[in-house]
Amino acid sequence: MTEYLIRRILQSVLVLFLVSVISFALMHAAPGGPLMVLLPKSGTQAAILQQEKNMGLLDPLPIQYLHWLGQLLHGNLGYTYKNHVPVGQILWPTVGNSLILMGVSWILSLLIAIPWGIYNSTRAYGLSDNISAAIGYLGFAMPAFWFGILLQEMFSLNLNWFPLSDMHSMNKQGDIGDLIWHLVLPVTVLVLGFLASYLKYSRASMLEVLHMDFVRTARAKGASEKRVIYRHALRNALIPIITVLGLDLPILVSGAVITENVFNWPGMGRLFVEMAFAREYAVLMAISLVSTVFVVIGNLVADILYAVVDPRVQLGKKGGAAA
Amino acid sequence: MSQLNTTPEESQMAQVESTKPDFSAEGVAAPPTSLTRVAMRKFFRNPFAVVGLIVLLFFIVLCGFAPLFTHYNPATIDMLHASLPPGTDGHLLGTDEIGRDVFTRLLYGGRVSLIVGFCVAFCSVVVGTLVGAIAGYFGGWVDMILMRLVDVMNSIPSLLLNIMVLALFGSGFWLMIAVLSLTSWQYVARLVRGTFLQLREMQYVQAARAIGVSNWSIITRHLIRNSTAPIIVNATLQVGTAILVESALSYLGLGVQPPQTSWGLMLNNAQEFMLTNPMEAIYPGLCILLVVLAVNFIGDGLRDAIDPRTKLKISRRRLQKWRNRFSKSGI
Amino acid sequence: MAEPLLEIRNLNTGFVTENGIVKALDGVSIRIDKGQVVCLVGESGSGKSVTSMNVMRLSDYDGGIVLEGEILFDGRDLLKLSQEEMRKIRGNRIAMIFQEPMNALNPVFTVGDQIAEALYLHKGISKEEAGKEAVKMLRMVGIPEPEIRAKQFPHELSGGMCQRVVIAMALICRPELVIADEPTTALDVTVQAQILDLLRNLKEEFNTSILLITHDMGVAAEMADRIAVMYAGTIVEEGTVEQMFTQPLHPYTVGLLNSIPGLEGARGTELYTIKGSIPSLANLPKGCRFHPRCPFATDRCRSEEPPLRDVGDGRRSACWYAEEVAEKAKTVMTTAGEGE
Repeated sequence: MTEYLIRRILQSVLVLFLVSVISFALMHAAPGGPLMVLLPKSGTQAAILQQEKNMGLLDPLPIQYLHWLGQLLHGNLGYTYKNHVPVGQILWPTVGNSLILMGVSWILSLLIAIPWGIYNSTRAYGLSDNISAAIGYLGFAMPAFWFGILLQEMFSLNLNWFPLSDMHSMNKQGDIGDLIWHLVLPVTVLVLGFLASYLKYSRASMLEVLHMDFVRTARAKGASEKRVIYRHALRNALIPIITVLGLDLPILVSGAVITENVFNWPGMGRLFVEMAFAREYAVLMAISLVSTVFVVIGNLVADILYAVVDPRVQLGKKGGAAA
Repeated sequence: MSQLNTTPEESQMAQVESTKPDFSAEGVAAPPTSLTRVAMRKFFRNPFAVVGLIVLLFFIVLCGFAPLFTHYNPATIDMLHASLPPGTDGHLLGTDEIGRDVFTRLLYGGRVSLIVGFCVAFCSVVVGTLVGAIAGYFGGWVDMILMRLVDVMNSIPSLLLNIMVLALFGSGFWLMIAVLSLTSWQYVARLVRGTFLQLREMQYVQAARAIGVSNWSIITRHLIRNSTAPIIVNATLQVGTAILVESALSYLGLGVQPPQTSWGLMLNNAQEFMLTNPMEAIYPGLCILLVVLAVNFIGDGLRDAIDPRTKLKISRRRLQKWRNRFSKSGI
Repeated sequence: MAEPLLEIRNLNTGFVTENGIVKALDGVSIRIDKGQVVCLVGESGSGKSVTSMNVMRLSDYDGGIVLEGEILFDGRDLLKLSQEEMRKIRGNRIAMIFQEPMNALNPVFTVGDQIAEALYLHKGISKEEAGKEAVKMLRMVGIPEPEIRAKQFPHELSGGMCQRVVIAMALICRPELVIADEPTTALDVTVQAQILDLLRNLKEEFNTSILLITHDMGVAAEMADRIAVMYAGTIVEEGTVEQMFTQPLHPYTVGLLNSIPGLEGARGTELYTIKGSIPSLANLPKGCRFHPRCPFATDRCRSEEPPLRDVGDGRRSACWYAEEVAEKAKTVMTTAGEGE
């Protein structure tokens, strides 16, 4: 177990390293440095050069990368070019805000999708099943930002039930009720997206399990239908669902980008778009790293849960859930 | 079997043979000629898939031959006829806040979405097949490096990567296609690699190798037979995904730039004028929704048609009715 | 002795499929007396398993429907019971042993828990108590170190062990009837013999009736009191083992008997196979359903369907020429067995 964990963590570090190299190389291969944006158009060529030299932008790329890496290992994510603000200072609050938005949506959609999907699997092609299939198709085909815009038009401009955007009303920082009020519309958008896939997975996974021999055995033993479904089938059905949840984490992290922009939610996704236009390399690097860390951790947690639920899987052994 | 017994036995069997055609003629359907035919028949029997196909063709014709359906220019600004309601002055869907014909812009914007969708699907299949084939054919460290690359690509949230590249390198139509393709080839690569690995184990390939037959003809034939169906299904669904991502990027201002337009960009515009012109947000979104739905229906239809295990669905209600009518056992 | 435990009368069942209703059983009648072992023999696709699923009423869950007939168990018609009432019988009074033990066990629960479950469900005893009983039962089915094994998961046991577990599971409530659906097919030959021995011993010990489903006449010969031969959804011959083996009264039975690989098979004789394949009930041939494959078929066989009729000595056969089959069979048997 420990051996397995160590190996997985080493693997993750390798992935993180590669991600950072790729992001770094991409950024610095882009035409026009950060100063194109930062300095006014009138800035002379010489002034730009001088400024770039001061900021270390003229060093060879590997040196720049090593410098960045060294800083990172000291817990320093770097500074923005503009105003020289520590990256952590602007990044961490947005991470928290994103987690609130995404976490609420994710948990809510799981709470809806898994029981509903299971219910549908026992009544395949019934009314409830057809409704959930329709939700699935809509969720997969509807642009999230369009749904967001429609909700805004409907519920904040016309009906004035919910706020148009932002996370807090003026002077209401820290008010939970106010936060929930602001959460409703963006969470609705995100839940639709999650529901689409989770409903499908939980239903399909359950349907597959319900056709397995051991379910028949359980019935032959005289177990009630409830017991067959919730005790015998459910745990088996959860195994593939857990895998999907782990693999879905990239969506969890980046899925909010669009929604955050529609609703002006001060999260990581919105920060990323803003900083991409401003060419704040340090912030972009930090966000790519943070989101990759989430992904890697998510996969690891999924693997461990997988081994917990399925006794056939032993972490680190052949046939285990490695990578 | 002894000699004594064989003669009558065989003559009996001959009789059996002769009676066989008799009962196959008793209304048993002729066996299907080929798998492709069966798949086609299944596909065209699926109402969702057929409707999807019709809707998609409708959009392709409408957008592809846009000048035939509208005489306006999508970029012409006409402040005198701004914000017209639908149906006035020959503006089928009215005009936007600076007098551009909404219907015309939808048609031209649709071109962008459709081209991006199909190009990305095609390119990602090409890239994926190449990577998968190289990894599977060479194996060893080449395979390991390429598969780690797949892992890394799967670990980076691809939307972030798209945003970063487009923001830094400047947003352009072809760059967007390239970036979207380069972040969506992993599935096909895995699939093709898997087929190659399977192929290596096959006895007949080893035999062919031993007698010096070129591997390529075997490889290509086997590859086509085993991977075409899932690749086509994946590519179809990829068209929908690409259209969605394109619209999202355009919405963020990272896709095509004015005066060109796309459905995503029109929505970006619409959000600004939500108060004065709420209908403007409806049309482009609806177009995206319809096209992606159509593509997904086609993809699902193809998958079900290709998969020999899928059967027609029977509604539970019908099943219950049959049961109640025929079954003597208590439920 | 001759007290019937299970009596299936004229059972007609089918499944609801995309093409409408597909018949699976066509007038099946079997009787099992208390303490008796009845073997249901036939090729795959003949409806043996469907019969067992109908008795257990498990086919209801797979779109199965009953068109006609009665299944009397201890005097009650099982087909008239609701699933809820049926549940109290399943695993308690009628238990089932399945074909593939590895798949029949739930991979995420320990075998001990799975065995104890039936007891806990039906006898209303505590889980701990049921667990102890499960260990005892494991010992009875010949599993060494049952305390340890009970805590293991199915994937940690071999196929033969899993089948013993499944048998333990079926017998823990001391059912009056056990339906064993090809209990040895998925196992190695050596293990097969052990499992059959075990079944026989347990049957003696608990005085259980067994409905044994198999395609293997050899297994039937070893286990059965009576044999019922099934073909294309119906019974074509029924009799005691001795009767069946010494004097088969249906050409299909002759074919089945001849396809047993004997010890003398090594003498270069070809293994007998019945030519052709079993028809589906959707397109049965006209007349006798076996005639296209029957070496003795006549014009009558091709036009009229023979009923399953009493042919004396408590035997039944569905062949127009049942009495002559015995004669003809002798030549076939002796030639096939080369005068044994």
